[in-house]
Amino acid sequence: MSRKMLIDGEVNQTTEEQTHYDFDLFVIGAGSGGVRAARFSAGYGAKVGICELPFHPISSEVIGGVGGTCVIRGCVPKKILVYGASFGGELEDARNYGWDLNEKIEFNWKKLLHKKTEEISRLNGIYKRMLANAGVKLLEGEGKIVRPNEVEVTQLDGTKLSYSAKHILIATGSRAQRLPIPGQELGITSDEALSLEEFPKRAIILGAGYIAVEFASIWRGMGATVDLFFRKELPLRGFDDEMRSVVARNLEARGINLHPKTNFSKLIKTADGIKVITEHGEEFTADVVLFAIGRAPNTKRLNLSAVGVETDEIGAIKVDEYSRTSVPSIWAVGDVTNRINLTPVALMEGTCFAKTVFDGKPSKPDYSYVPCAVFSIPPLSVVGLSEEQAIEQVNGELLIFTSTFNPMKNTVSGRQEKTVMKLIVEAETDKVLGAAMCGPDAPEIMQGIAVALKCGATKAQFDSTVGIHPSAAEEFVTMRTVTRRVNGKPKTNL
Amino acid sequence: MATSISFTTPKLTSPFSSSPTLLQTLLFSRKLSASSLHFPASSPQTLGSGTHSLGRLRGLRCFTVRAESENGVEPYAPRHYDFDLFTIGAGSGGVRASRFAANFGATVAVCELPFSTISSETSGGVGGTCVLRGCVPKKLLVYSSKYSHDFEESMGFGWKYDSEPKHDWSTLIANKNAELHRLTGIYKNILNNSGVTLLEGRGKIIDPHTVDVDGKRYSAKHILISVGGRPFIPEIPGREYAIDSDAALDLPSKPEKIAIIGGGYIALEFAGIFNGLKSEVHVFIRQKKVLRGFDEEVRDFVAEQMSLRGIEFHTEESPQAIHKLPDGLLSLRTTKGTVDGFSHVMFATGRQPNTKNLGLDSVGVKMSKNGAIEVDEFSQTSVPSIWAVGDVTDRVNLTPVALMEGGALAKTLFLNEPTKPDYGAIPSAVFSQPPIGQVGLTEEQAVQQYSDVDIFTANFRPLKATLSGLPDRIFMKLIVCAKTNKVLGLHMCGEDSPEIMQGFAVAIKAGLTKADFDSTVGIHPTAAEELVTMRTPTRKIRNGSSPEVCWESRAPSKSAS
Repeated sequence: MSRKMLIDGEVNQTTEEQTHYDFDLFVIGAGSGGVRAARFSAGYGAKVGICELPFHPISSEVIGGVGGTCVIRGCVPKKILVYGASFGGELEDARNYGWDLNEKIEFNWKKLLHKKTEEISRLNGIYKRMLANAGVKLLEGEGKIVRPNEVEVTQLDGTKLSYSAKHILIATGSRAQRLPIPGQELGITSDEALSLEEFPKRAIILGAGYIAVEFASIWRGMGATVDLFFRKELPLRGFDDEMRSVVARNLEARGINLHPKTNFSKLIKTADGIKVITEHGEEFTADVVLFAIGRAPNTKRLNLSAVGVETDEIGAIKVDEYSRTSVPSIWAVGDVTNRINLTPVALMEGTCFAKTVFDGKPSKPDYSYVPCAVFSIPPLSVVGLSEEQAIEQVNGELLIFTSTFNPMKNTVSGRQEKTVMKLIVEAETDKVLGAAMCGPDAPEIMQGIAVALKCGATKAQFDSTVGIHPSAAEEFVTMRTVTRRVNGKPKTNL
Repeated sequence: MATSISFTTPKLTSPFSSSPTLLQTLLFSRKLSASSLHFPASSPQTLGSGTHSLGRLRGLRCFTVRAESENGVEPYAPRHYDFDLFTIGAGSGGVRASRFAANFGATVAVCELPFSTISSETSGGVGGTCVLRGCVPKKLLVYSSKYSHDFEESMGFGWKYDSEPKHDWSTLIANKNAELHRLTGIYKNILNNSGVTLLEGRGKIIDPHTVDVDGKRYSAKHILISVGGRPFIPEIPGREYAIDSDAALDLPSKPEKIAIIGGGYIALEFAGIFNGLKSEVHVFIRQKKVLRGFDEEVRDFVAEQMSLRGIEFHTEESPQAIHKLPDGLLSLRTTKGTVDGFSHVMFATGRQPNTKNLGLDSVGVKMSKNGAIEVDEFSQTSVPSIWAVGDVTDRVNLTPVALMEGGALAKTLFLNEPTKPDYGAIPSAVFSQPPIGQVGLTEEQAVQQYSDVDIFTANFRPLKATLSGLPDRIFMKLIVCAKTNKVLGLHMCGEDSPEIMQGFAVAIKAGLTKADFDSTVGIHPTAAEELVTMRTPTRKIRNGSSPEVCWESRAPSKSAS
C-alpha cells in the first residue's frame, strides 16, 4: 500500500497524514467512470470503497446497478437491440442473393428482451467480480455526501452507514428526461424503451439526438411503424450538416416517417393507444411515445450544495481539468460532469483521476479527436471536426473530400442506399481535421481512422496507404479529387 | 498536364544526346504543349545530370533516346508512333495506368480479350481478374453465403423461420453475372471517357515498339504488359475433372460435396462460401496449417473458427489422383488415403503469370522461373520500352497494389515524376468466414527483424455471439517494437476485420506508436475499440527468443473487458 496522494497532499500535509480515514477513495456510482477509477486506484495501492444502487434495468433515484448506464441501460442493451433490428434489413437483402425466405418472418420481441436482460445481468455480475478482484469494497445503497470527507450510504433496509474517505469521487451519471407537458407520464424514456413488455407496433419518438435515431432504427428494423419528431430541420444537431442529411435520408428510405420542426404539446391516453398532439395541432396515435430529448446529471440527492460542490444550471458538477470539484477532496467523472457524455470518455476520465490522485502522475483527459458513433441503421461515425466546426475554427483554406457510393453488397441486394464518407483537410498543413462516414460498419471503420487523426495524419499519409479490396473502408484512402474548397472564417473580436 | 513538366529535373537527360534531339523527341509526344518547350536548351547542368542517377532513372533516359537507337531507327531522327502507350490487358493495373496516362496527356490504347467469366488464352474481359474472376464475384458469393450464419445468429435475437431458408444457386449466379456485365461496361466507359482506345483481341509483342492485336499492328513508344495471372492446376491424373477458382465462381449448380485443394486465401474463401451455402466442404492442405506466410496465431485461430462452422480440414494430405466413378462422383486419392463422393474437386493451388504466347522471349523480356516478368523498381522490364505491372510481375498480387503500380507508372512516364510503388505496410484481407485483416509484420517476422518485441493479444467473444450463442470469437494481435514503441504489425480475425484494418493501416503506415494507439479514445461498443485499449502485453520477447509469458488467453467477454 504505497500511496502517493499528490495534489491535495500539498495543503495541510501534516494534519492530513494524521487523520485516519476508512478509505483512501470512496466512489459514489459504479458505472463506467466509477468502476474504472475505483479499480485503477486500488491497483495503485489505494483502499477503495464504492457504493451503487440495487440492480434494475429501469433506473430511478433508488435503483441503478453495478455497470451503470452503459451496461444496463445504454450502449450494451441498445447495441443488442440494434443487432436484433439489423436482421430485418438483412433478411430483405438476402433474397436477391438467392435465399428463399417466407414473406413474413416472425420476430419475437419478448425473447430478445429476455436474452438482453440475461446478458446485462451477466455483465452486472462480471463488473461486481472485477471490483472484488481489484480489492474494491462494494456497498449497496444510496450514497450521499455529508462532509468533504464523509459519505453516508443508505442501505436497502433504510440503515445508514457512514464512511470517511480522503477522496470522494462522484460518478453517478445521468438519467433520461421527459418533456414537461401535460400527459408526460404517458410517455417513456430510453430506460423503459429497453425493457418494454410488448413490442410497440406503432412508435412515436420525440428527439433529434443519437438516442432518438437509434430507437427509430431499432423499432423500424423490427417491423414497427415509426414516427420521429424533432424541433430542427434535421436530426443530430452538432454533427456535420451534410452527414445529418444523409442520416435523415437513410432513415426515411428505411421507412421511418420524419416530422421535422415539430414539438409536442400534450399526450392523451385513448382506447387506441397514446395520442400525441403537436404544437401545430396535428394528432398522432401510437402504442408507445418515447421522449429522447436529453439526459440530466444525477446530482439532486447528493447533498452537493450543502458541502459546497458547485453545479451548473442543468445540475452538472463543475470540475477543473483534473476532474476536481470546487471542494478539493471531492472529484467527479463521467456524465455527471456533462463534458463529453460517452463511456470511453468516462473511462479516460476515471483513469486520469486514478493516475493523478494515486499514481503521482497528474493527468488531464484529452478531449481532442474523440471519435463517436450513432448506431442508427445504417450507422454514422465521426472523429474530429465537422465541416461547420472547421470553417469556424480554421483560418485558411479547407479541402473537403467526399465520396458517395453504392456499397458492393447493394449491387446485388438492390437496396437503394448510398454510403457517404467525408474528409476535412486543412490546405496549408495537409492535416486531416475531420472524418465522417455513414454506412454499414462505419463505427468499426472509424476507430483506426481516429488513431490516425489523433496523431496528426496528413492527407498524403492517407493517400500513401494501400487500400484493402474490396472493402468500404478503402474509400478513405482513395479520395483523390477535392469535392470543394471552402474558406475557414474564424470568429474575431472585430 | 504537359505544362507541368519541368525541364529542370533529370528525367530527360541523356549523356549521349544533344538538346535538339530531346526537343524533337518530345515534340512527338503529343501531350507536350508548345508552352513547355521554352526551356533553356543550353542548360548543361540539367542535361548532364543524369550520370549521377542513371540507375534510378534508367527507364526515363531510355524512353527519350536510347530506345530509339536500339530499335534500329536512325539515332537522332524522331519516330512517329501510333500511341504513346499501348497496354496489353485491361485489368486493374492496366486500366489504371492507361487512364492516368491519358489524363496526363498521352495517347493510349489498351487491348483485352473478349469477355467471359472463365479466362483462357482467348477469353478475358475488361475489368480483369479482380472484377470478373476475383475480388468482386468472390465477395458477392461471400455476402450470399454469409447469410446462413446471419440466419443462425438472428435466431438468438428473436427471429424465427417457419422453414429453414433455402438457397437457390442459379438466382445468385444470374444476379452476380448481371453485376459483372454492368461492371465490365463501366470499366469500358471509364476507358472511353479518358480517351483511351480500347481494342478487343489478343495482344502480342512483335518488337520493342510494336504490338500485334489479332493480325493488326500498332506502334507505341511504351508498351505496358498487365495481363495478370491465371489459376494453376498441377499435373495429376484426373486433373481434367477438377475445377479452378474461375469455374467455381460460375458453376451451373452448387456443389453437394466439394474437395478444395490448397491452404491459401483462395482456398479458405471458397471453403467459407460453399460451407455457408450448405455444401459439405473438405479442405486438403499439404502443410500442417493454412495460410502460409500469415501470423502463426492467426493461422491457428482461423482454422479453428472455420472448423467450428463445419469445414473439415485434412492437413498434410496432398492429392495424388482424381477418379470419376460410375455414379458420376469424384474420388480423391491422397497421400493418406482416398476420400469419395465429391461432386466437385477444386484446386486453389496458386496462380501463374499469363506470359505465354506474348512474344516476350523473342523480344528479350526477361522472366523468372515461374514465368513472372522481371521488373525494376519503376516496373521497367529488361527491354527499356516495355513495362509491366500487376500479377504478371508477381510482386504483391493484390488489386490495390496493381493500382498503385499502374498509377506510379503513369506518373513516371507521363507526368515527369519518377515514382516507385511503395511496398511498405500494405494491408490485406482474407474473406474467409470469419475474415482476416492484417497489416505490417507477423510476429515471426518482427522477432526476426527487431528481436525485442512486445506482443499484445486479445481473444474474446463478441457481444453478438453472447446473444446468438454461436461459438464465434475474435482474435487481435498488436506487435510493438520494444525499443521504439512503434507498432510493427496488426492482425485480426473475426467479423469486420477487413473494414477495421484499413484505418489502422493508415496509422501504421504513418509510423505511429503504441502510445499513439493508447491515446485514442475508443468507439463504444465496437470490436475495433479493443485495439486501442490493449493495456498489458501478453508476452515480451527479448533477444528474439524465450518469451516472458503473461498469458491471458481467453478474456471472459468483450463487453466486460
